[in-house]
Amino acid sequence: MVTTPQAVVRSLLPLAVAVGVAVGLELLLGLLGFYAQKILFDIGVNIILAVSLNMVNGFTGQFSIGHAGFMALGAYGSIVVTYYGGYALFGDVMMHSTVTGYALYFVSILVGGVVAAGAGLLVGLPSLRLRGDYLAIVTLGFGEIIRVVLQVSQPVLEPSEMAAVPWYEQPWHLGRSLGFVHSGSYNTLGWTWTAVAVTLLVAYRLRESTHGRAFLSIRENEIAAESIGVNTTRYKVNAFVLAAFFAGVAGSLFGHQLGAGTASRPEEFNFMKSFEVIIMVVLGGMGSISGAAVAAVALTLLTEALRSFQDYRMISYSLLLVIVMILRPQGLFGTHEIWHLLARFRRKGTR
Amino acid sequence: MAALLDVKGVSLSFGGLKAVADFSLSLAEGSLTGLIGPNGAGKTTLFNLLTGVYQPDVGEILLGGQRLNGKRPYQIAAAGAARTFQNIRLFGDLTVLDNVRVACHLRATRGMWAAVLRTAGYRNEEAAIALRAMRLLELFGLAAAAGKQAKSLPYGQQRRLEIARALATEPRLLLLDEPAAGMNPQEKGKLRELIARVRDEFKVTILLIEHDMSLVMQVCERIAVVDHGVKIAEGTPGEIQKDAKVIAAYLGTAESGAAAE
Repeated sequence: MVTTPQAVVRSLLPLAVAVGVAVGLELLLGLLGFYAQKILFDIGVNIILAVSLNMVNGFTGQFSIGHAGFMALGAYGSIVVTYYGGYALFGDVMMHSTVTGYALYFVSILVGGVVAAGAGLLVGLPSLRLRGDYLAIVTLGFGEIIRVVLQVSQPVLEPSEMAAVPWYEQPWHLGRSLGFVHSGSYNTLGWTWTAVAVTLLVAYRLRESTHGRAFLSIRENEIAAESIGVNTTRYKVNAFVLAAFFAGVAGSLFGHQLGAGTASRPEEFNFMKSFEVIIMVVLGGMGSISGAAVAAVALTLLTEALRSFQDYRMISYSLLLVIVMILRPQGLFGTHEIWHLLARFRRKGTR
Repeated sequence: MAALLDVKGVSLSFGGLKAVADFSLSLAEGSLTGLIGPNGAGKTTLFNLLTGVYQPDVGEILLGGQRLNGKRPYQIAAAGAARTFQNIRLFGDLTVLDNVRVACHLRATRGMWAAVLRTAGYRNEEAAIALRAMRLLELFGLAAAAGKQAKSLPYGQQRRLEIARALATEPRLLLLDEPAAGMNPQEKGKLRELIARVRDEFKVTILLIEHDMSLVMQVCERIAVVDHGVKIAEGTPGEIQKDAKVIAAYLGTAESGAAAE
């Protein structure tokens, strides 16, 4: 197969445009206050989480309820890279706003994703061979196990203590339930929204491919999917691992966000966080990428609007979910996508 | 002609119930065979055995010389056997076109990464798949409904779509489970032509379960009759119509009729 320059351009153009937008956001940073930045960051992370969970719950119709667990693995995995890896590289644990520093951050994002994906493979392989609700039970347990394990880890090592601990034991010093406090707030809106763009692009391209339609066929009818040659276990595992990877990436971003005493606490990744992401997917419409993204934006903004009633947030979420299930059980978008509706609209317009 | 499918002494029991007992059948390449029998005779169970949904307790199933025992349904589909279902199993929320396109996936060579990167090779393959899927839909008179959700189709069209989807996997053996069920006489007439055409155009071997006797007698070259999991007769439609055992299985014998009264 000859790869023409045009083909390469067509393959990468959407990504280039998206990165351009993300860089634009980055340049606007000065104009945005910290509050607006924080909201835009939260929206971005939630879009990644919802769109990736949708690959499992929406595309293949399985029910995973441990997404926060993968996010936690991503967050801690990437912090280990920038903190302990950074110490090995620079000799201190400060943030380095240099090319090397940001290269380290880039690597840490990938490591966060890969660690989560690896865990996804371990969890998915045995539980996705079975039909039914086993995955829900296993992922629920998995999320909680990760949180509890993080809580019983060792305190974070100070630079003065590093020499006494061999390198392979360092990643276990994760700060217990106090959280991993560090100074590597590498993440910016540019990083966040580039990751959002990659997630959306991958989800969109998969959804519209023959390979992606095999995911959907499992949701629609597993027996028929097998009968036309879809190795359902393998496809379910593929979707699950991919979703875990992006949850890990979201965690990496989350772990390096700007904030007072940048910290990742195990409590942030509890069942409530997983549940929040599920609500986004269900609200948006199981299987709809655009639905998941729109619901992620809406729910993040709603959370902000209701900040003063924070304690009752889950009640309002649950109420919202009940109302949507009564009025529109298939979710806002059902299984439709914005681009399908646009295409239909355009056809009507030309007629 | 060489046998494409060879079923040798296959048995399957569910607990104490012998669903299929010592069943043997040989299908010549390119033949069109009917599988008939009273309700509950084990016809669909046999299809499930052929497609790997169930595994035989004893016996052997060969497709083109390849052993199918122990293979999972998707592996058997890859080996070249495709089927339709008695109770229609379409991908309801997907469009009619996508139902066929997803089945083309089996013979596609580009994987997930090519799809994500949208390589030139991947795009060519997608275009070829879309074209092939549309051709199949045209053949089955479904082209106009390509953009509709599969579940919104009328019953007869859903049955036709299932056959189109099965053909998209490029099978050598096509198993049709009551394709005429729920169709009106006109639709049945069209289906009869379609089945014959599919066999000739796609060079597939067809095994057909059907309760509509006029359809079976007209379209099939050979017929196998099952009752209580046992093959009681096999032959041409003419032979089957005269077979005493077959008549007994369908209408009962004079003795059993008297006993029932």
